[in-house]
Amino acid sequence: MADTRVIIIGAGPAGLAAAAELARAGQDCVLIDQRATPGGAIHRQPAHPSRTIPMSRVARLRFESLMKGIATPRVQFRGLSHFLGVDGDGFALIEDRTNGRVEKLAAKAIILATGAVEKIRPVQGWELPGVSTAGGMQVMLKETGIAPQGRILLAGNGPLLVALAAQLIRAGNPPLALVEAANPMTKPLTALGLLRHPALLGEAAGFTFDVLRSGLPWMRGASLVRIEQAGSALAAVIRQADGQETRIEVDRIALHDGIRENRIGLPQTNLQDAPIIVHAGDCRQTLGAPAAVCDGARAGRQVAALLGAKACDVAKLERQLARQVAAQKRLARIFSPVAALPALKDLPDETVICRCEGSTVGSLKALLSVKDGLSGREVKHNGRFAMGNCQGRFCAANTAALMAQLRPDMPEASEADLTGRRWPIRPVSIAALLSAAPAEQTNDHEVRL
Amino acid sequence: MSANTFIWQGREIPFVAGESIAAALTAAGILTFGPDMSGRETRYFCGIGACQNCLVRVDGRVVEACLTAAHTGLVVTAAGGAHG
Repeated sequence: MADTRVIIIGAGPAGLAAAAELARAGQDCVLIDQRATPGGAIHRQPAHPSRTIPMSRVARLRFESLMKGIATPRVQFRGLSHFLGVDGDGFALIEDRTNGRVEKLAAKAIILATGAVEKIRPVQGWELPGVSTAGGMQVMLKETGIAPQGRILLAGNGPLLVALAAQLIRAGNPPLALVEAANPMTKPLTALGLLRHPALLGEAAGFTFDVLRSGLPWMRGASLVRIEQAGSALAAVIRQADGQETRIEVDRIALHDGIRENRIGLPQTNLQDAPIIVHAGDCRQTLGAPAAVCDGARAGRQVAALLGAKACDVAKLERQLARQVAAQKRLARIFSPVAALPALKDLPDETVICRCEGSTVGSLKALLSVKDGLSGREVKHNGRFAMGNCQGRFCAANTAALMAQLRPDMPEASEADLTGRRWPIRPVSIAALLSAAPAEQTNDHEVRL
Repeated sequence: MSANTFIWQGREIPFVAGESIAAALTAAGILTFGPDMSGRETRYFCGIGACQNCLVRVDGRVVEACLTAAHTGLVVTAAGGAHG
């Protein structure tokens, strides 16, 4: 492959920063994103320019500077394009969603900057329509500029819930309640340590202030027990900090239990004759947007140096990253749950583990009781866990954890045993895959800018 | 057909230019998007294409409602069913 291009997957903070660094080093790169516009989750652009939800000054400046970095002919942005994986010949497979075609792109290097995925703790009823992830609700809010209609409940654990609550308040539909497993207000000294991270503290303080001022019930040290259908509405049963259960009827529920790096199906190792593969940003380590900018820049410099550019110093970026690691550790302490949440094995048998196919805690217990010693792979093939369309993104880790809890004496199955380690990372039609052609051979394709 | 509407199971759904099919259906009060290929009801969940729970069929192709922009005149049906 004589191609000198670098392909960057994901046009969030890490991908944008990487592209800017590569362009600066004289490398051409193609920036791929599934959305029509760059930005990623944090800087998601509204569908209509008049419907922007206000961004903090820090976030606005960060995005402006990132966009300035890619305003060069060396960076081509291709939106509405899905990365499917790297095939056996080292081509990146890209599905163009405007025409359904799959292209094979040759590249010297691929930087994966696909962002984090949300962790969601399964509860009974989490599969019901009207229940989304907090990130999912935020996507709609940022995309439409309008708060979701109806009564909203936010539940789970982590700073994103506070951010979403504040954004809903500002958009005119405050949630009915915010159920949070931790009690951040009891950790003022730890929170004070965020003074060393002014950018982070500024945003966090703004969100927290809005939530406190709004007077919405912020149920700290509480957890969601289950969700029930209540006519056309949803009923959330909540265990409060004092152990009492309470029931709240709402129309929408957003769940969130933190974020984690995104590895499923993504190429990890560098094979011979295959492009150099580097992971950057939250898909490598979940440290948030400011860190993703540093990590993306670092990946860009690293790849540029590997491709022959004069090595650029990354020590300063490394120091900035180390500071962000410290900040995230502090945030994790502030948001550490007050009481242990129930183990997966103690959830009612009806609790859905696999959202795609509806397999439950009970069905995994039954599967494991019939035959001893099933491996992760066998649980996938015999029980269809991690077998559905999401390829295990929302169940593989939970299935592996539940297996370990049910069989503490057995060697633990890993998440990857269940998901497998192969492309495509997104479902794609077989016809499109079979007709996939190297981009060089298709002369009717224009690269969109 | 009116401008800025698409057809969902025979019904006209209004949308704002650039908005996803999922956002438009949700704004119209539609929370379940019909059966998928295995017969399970689809619905919006993660908003980033990761959960694959909001699959619909658009002009014959199965796509994520959360990642597919609405266009005037688009014919959107359940992912499963007649063509599944």
